[in-house]
Amino acid sequence: MEITGITSYLLISFFLFLAGLLTVVSKRNIIGIFMGIELVLNSAALNFAAFSRLTARNLEGQMVSLFVIVLAAAEAAIALALLLAIYKRYRDINADNLTTLKW
Amino acid sequence: MTIGLKEIVFVSVALLTTLPCLIVVFSRNVLYSAFALFFTFLGTSGLYFFLDAEFLAIAQVVVYIGGVSVLLLFAILLTKNIDEIRKTNMMSGRRMALAGAAVLALAGSFGYALRGTVWAQGGNSVYPATTLKGLGDLLLSKYLLPFEAVSILLLAVLVGSLVIARRSVK
Repeated sequence: MEITGITSYLLISFFLFLAGLLTVVSKRNIIGIFMGIELVLNSAALNFAAFSRLTARNLEGQMVSLFVIVLAAAEAAIALALLLAIYKRYRDINADNLTTLKW
Repeated sequence: MTIGLKEIVFVSVALLTTLPCLIVVFSRNVLYSAFALFFTFLGTSGLYFFLDAEFLAIAQVVVYIGGVSVLLLFAILLTKNIDEIRKTNMMSGRRMALAGAAVLALAGSFGYALRGTVWAQGGNSVYPATTLKGLGDLLLSKYLLPFEAVSILLLAVLVGSLVIARRSVK
């Protein structure tokens, strides 16, 4: 097994995914949850690029990574705008306290 | 297995990517998490260089480090003072333990799936020496429709985030 082979990339990206998942589930702060989502998207893009380079050996996977990066940026802009709006209204960004929509 | 300079650099970049994730997850201070995320993005960019994806690496630096990290820092700046955030960044221990158990189960299942999997190879195709031209060609031929859809999405995001975050008119 080579060190720079596909397995290493899969392991790194899986570690990023697990860290992101744990962040999303365990954080109480909305900004923290948002960081977890960014980690998950990052790991997905890395996986696409790794498969594109090391198994498919063409550029289609990189294309998907590019779109993932763009969507992550769009998501970041909207999420943080929403966060500011929420903070203006409730003076709070603790996800446990924002239960207005909870049935 | 030979350990050359390339392998050493690869392992350091991989560590630069993965170790700050632990700070992102376990730090009580959301500001430290944001700075650790910065290093994770930088490490991912380095991994893209290892994958011969130069354009992706530069896009990662520009979009994630120049855009998302700065947005995050501004969000932290504009919402709460750091003193309060230091105490509220983590869930209760019980939920953390449950989440950790779920993540460990996922890790085990992935390890089981990874063991002995042989990935299909893409025939005789050869990875191009420079990716920029190929990416441009793909973007304006096969992926033209997604490209245009993403352009419209970005326009909508631009207008939408302004509308959501603006000062409400009384």
